[in-house]
Amino acid sequence: MHRSDRAGTPASGTVVECRAVCKAFRQRQPSERPRDLLRNLLHPRFRTIEALRDVSFTVNRGEVVAYAGPNGAGKSTTIKLLLGMLAPTSGSVRVLGMDPVDDRTRYVGRIGVVFGQRTELWWDHPVAASYEWKRVVWDIPRERFDRMCGVARELLGVGESWNTLARELSLGQRMRADLGMAMLHEPEILFLDEPTLGLDVLAKRSMTRLVRQLSATGSVTVMVTSHDMNELEQLAGRVIFIESGNLAYDGDFASLRREFGDLRRLVLETDSATPPSLPGAELVGSHGLRHEYRLAGGGADVASLLSLAGEQCRVLDVETHRAPIDEVIAGIYEHWGRTRPAGTP
Amino acid sequence: MAARILRLWALYATLDGMWIARDFRSFIFYYLADAVTAVASVAGVLLLAQRFDGIPPWTRDQVVFLLGFGMVARFVPDMLGNYNVLHISRRIGRGQLDHILVQPQPVWMALLTEGFAPFWGLLSLAPGVGLMVWAGQRMGLEATPPWLLAFALNLAGASAALTAYAALWGFAAFFQPRAAEEISGSAVDLMTDLKGFPLDALGPGLRTALVTVIPAGLMAWYPCRALLGLDHGIAALWATPAAAAALCCAACLTFRMGMKRYAQVGSSRYTSFGHRR
Repeated sequence: MHRSDRAGTPASGTVVECRAVCKAFRQRQPSERPRDLLRNLLHPRFRTIEALRDVSFTVNRGEVVAYAGPNGAGKSTTIKLLLGMLAPTSGSVRVLGMDPVDDRTRYVGRIGVVFGQRTELWWDHPVAASYEWKRVVWDIPRERFDRMCGVARELLGVGESWNTLARELSLGQRMRADLGMAMLHEPEILFLDEPTLGLDVLAKRSMTRLVRQLSATGSVTVMVTSHDMNELEQLAGRVIFIESGNLAYDGDFASLRREFGDLRRLVLETDSATPPSLPGAELVGSHGLRHEYRLAGGGADVASLLSLAGEQCRVLDVETHRAPIDEVIAGIYEHWGRTRPAGTP
Repeated sequence: MAARILRLWALYATLDGMWIARDFRSFIFYYLADAVTAVASVAGVLLLAQRFDGIPPWTRDQVVFLLGFGMVARFVPDMLGNYNVLHISRRIGRGQLDHILVQPQPVWMALLTEGFAPFWGLLSLAPGVGLMVWAGQRMGLEATPPWLLAFALNLAGASAALTAYAALWGFAAFFQPRAAEEISGSAVDLMTDLKGFPLDALGPGLRTALVTVIPAGLMAWYPCRALLGLDHGIAALWATPAAAAALCCAACLTFRMGMKRYAQVGSSRYTSFGHRR
């Protein structure tokens, strides 16, 4: 990739640095009683929502980082801070050595953004016109533009919708066109906010493959948010979990599984509709002769369980697999929900 | 910077042209509807002026000139600011300002250029110019260079006054996004609906209000008084540009305040409706 216009940017090292970032919002709390109508009008009550509390993390060049958390955890707030759309209440945000708010004009020329629920495409124009719009507004050199258009057409399959009006694209086509457009100026960091929202399985898989291909070059840093944890696990080597505005976890997915319970599944097909009783394994459900158990990671001895099952019935088939990451995350969310102090959002 | 602005205007003009000419039927009906709207917007005052041979102290030809001036003064903001400055409350109130914030250019430059739509409302320009030329010829108006300069200044002032007034109201959306979402459109309508009336018969209080609080009088009435010699003071020639400059300053200050607030609270709303074409 051509980086001649990005002088001063190190080839490796930290590209995103959030230090003790706090972001608070005021939220109106109107009374529901009719007699308080005047008070709501003249002296409304507010409460302060701490969307982010003392959040610190860094991201190195070339990393693919998943940024995850339940609804209202502070993901979108963080992304908006990193994009320069919001300023932190306290703490500092530095990306590519710049303050995203103060240096916005220079900064956004070096990042790319794809919002799953928003499009940068011009609605009533063909995709090609939107790409040309981007070339002029971003002042992209012709050589780079042509090359990256080629990448978008080949890698992302944008060629098939090149002359189609944006409003006539399917969601999958639109997302690919948006991703291609975000890459036209060869951004150093790509922010993907829910990029697969609403996509079908094939489109999701295609999008995941594309982001992996982009990140494989090592020159693009990717920060991606999503609620689809399986997708994030496939995409990212590292996950940052945010919960109620606090940074709850920062590490790789394998450590996450170890830390929060590496759940596995044991599926037995027996000659009996009655599931065998297996101490240490929790029965999830039975479907005819198939019985599914949840095993605690590391502690369960599958051989002993099979032996025990064999004493109660004839085992016809056996399957073991790791629980989907979604289940691990759901367990974490439930745990957070139980341990969250009263009054926190 | 000027070169970049010209380049961006060329880009948006191309996009506008492509949009207008996207298919033959749309093209015809778009301009047909535009022509009907343009005629309807001046028909009432024009018929009154015709019936009573003017609206004193304005002669019939002066009224026609005023109507033409108002149409052209309305066209310029439409050409430069549709989809952004003229309806800025939508962009802010619907969270669409975020799209501008991810572009590597100053926000003012995006606002100045992104709404450039020279083909949009073209049919209000042609009749507007036609009415002025026709009335000017009948009045024997001498278009001397100083007069043309005064005309250009007053036309720019009238257009800027409308834009700044719409923007001033529109920036309320920084503070109340939901309630003020369509407020700049209402401000434009208010100005546009009143722009074609000679206001001389009104009392001084109401007249003052109509060049200050609701400066609809600046869109055609006040500048045309000065240009057509109904007001002989030299200050009258400068009043509209000066008032427009004051409104623009107020709009810029409010915008800065609004942007500071936007950086603090952002927008919790988002809808793509009305964003680009």
